[in-house]
Amino acid sequence: MKITCAALIALGSALAIQTVQAQAPATPARPAAPTAPARQAGDRPPSLADPTTATGRKVDISGTWNGGGRARPVNSENYPWTKENFPVLNERGLAYQKVFDEALAPKYDCVPSTSPAIQYDPYNMQVIQWPDRVLFRYEKDDQVRTVWLDDRQPTVQDYSLQGFSKGHYEGNALIVETDHFLFDITGFDDYNGIPSSQMKKVTEKYWKENNELKMTLTLEDPMFLRQPASYTTRWLPLPASYELTAWECDPETSRAPVKMMVPKYK
Amino acid sequence: MTTAGKFLTGTTAGLILAALVGVAPAVAHHSSTPFYDATKKAEVQGTVTKFLIRNPHSFLYFDETTPQGKVEWQIELGTAASLTRTGWTAETLKPGTAIKVSGQPSRAEGSHGMCCARITRPDGSPIMQGGRLTEEQQPPR
Repeated sequence: MKITCAALIALGSALAIQTVQAQAPATPARPAAPTAPARQAGDRPPSLADPTTATGRKVDISGTWNGGGRARPVNSENYPWTKENFPVLNERGLAYQKVFDEALAPKYDCVPSTSPAIQYDPYNMQVIQWPDRVLFRYEKDDQVRTVWLDDRQPTVQDYSLQGFSKGHYEGNALIVETDHFLFDITGFDDYNGIPSSQMKKVTEKYWKENNELKMTLTLEDPMFLRQPASYTTRWLPLPASYELTAWECDPETSRAPVKMMVPKYK
Repeated sequence: MTTAGKFLTGTTAGLILAALVGVAPAVAHHSSTPFYDATKKAEVQGTVTKFLIRNPHSFLYFDETTPQGKVEWQIELGTAASLTRTGWTAETLKPGTAIKVSGQPSRAEGSHGMCCARITRPDGSPIMQGGRLTEEQQPPR
């Protein structure tokens, strides 16, 4: 039986946790919206007083959110990818998974996780909404993702760990589409050793239900997956006074566990 | 603090209590399975040499005195956030503190590590009484 620190927490939290089975609510067709002029990276943003965007009416999901064990099962080999939604890997994906060596996982050198794992890390997150962008701040690894709401287009300079994100409001939800990722040996899932490629595309749909923030994430990566994979999860609200703490990953202690592992390759 | 909580110490207590009261767990950086053997248990006494409260893992180092000499042990703990939220500080385990540690031993041959550890004084008493977050600091349910 696999027992992890995460499992210990999950066990202790069992009474408080309920598996999130919710599905994204159906949304009406995207309403017609005025077209914003094309903008280039580096352009001055529009007035921050503007409460709407060029792509639809703002849906308020701002605030600080708890993504820990009270909100959902803690990430592990079995979450968020369960037997029901585990990705179907193609031959390349299976080959990479077979040769994967835990010791080379980038996280042991303070490299942050990427979509679709970063959304499911059991830590707190802040959402900041501006007229031309939405900022997702993650407590773990001090990561910030910028979701552009204007019509800017990515360039070849935008390939990065977190990719290039653009979004729009649709019905009662914020839709985020991200591509321009870099190859990552654990870019799909760092518990099951599944990589992701530059062809990875991630679509996130955020909406509020009661007092919770919910999200359905769908991922495509034909380089490694035979078909898209998806999970739905939630965050619980944190007090308005809560401020994210600095993570400041320590390289020494980040890699320290690795010498406790039986090496896969010698 | 619950009665059980008073006698559970170290990371185990922190994590279990944290989980029971709903503090966002701040571990889950990696599976313990490749590194530590959950089917085995190690129990060692020694003297603290270094206590690092860090992200993504805090670590406690201590020396065990054996007939063959000193053996340095490396105990993997939770994140800085999880430890500080449960009342631990760098002063909690100062160098020179005598401790007893039990937990899952590391898998690598010749390594001396543990995770998921219970840390007490050598007589089994808690390292500290109470010393954790209060109810009003918890996130809402």
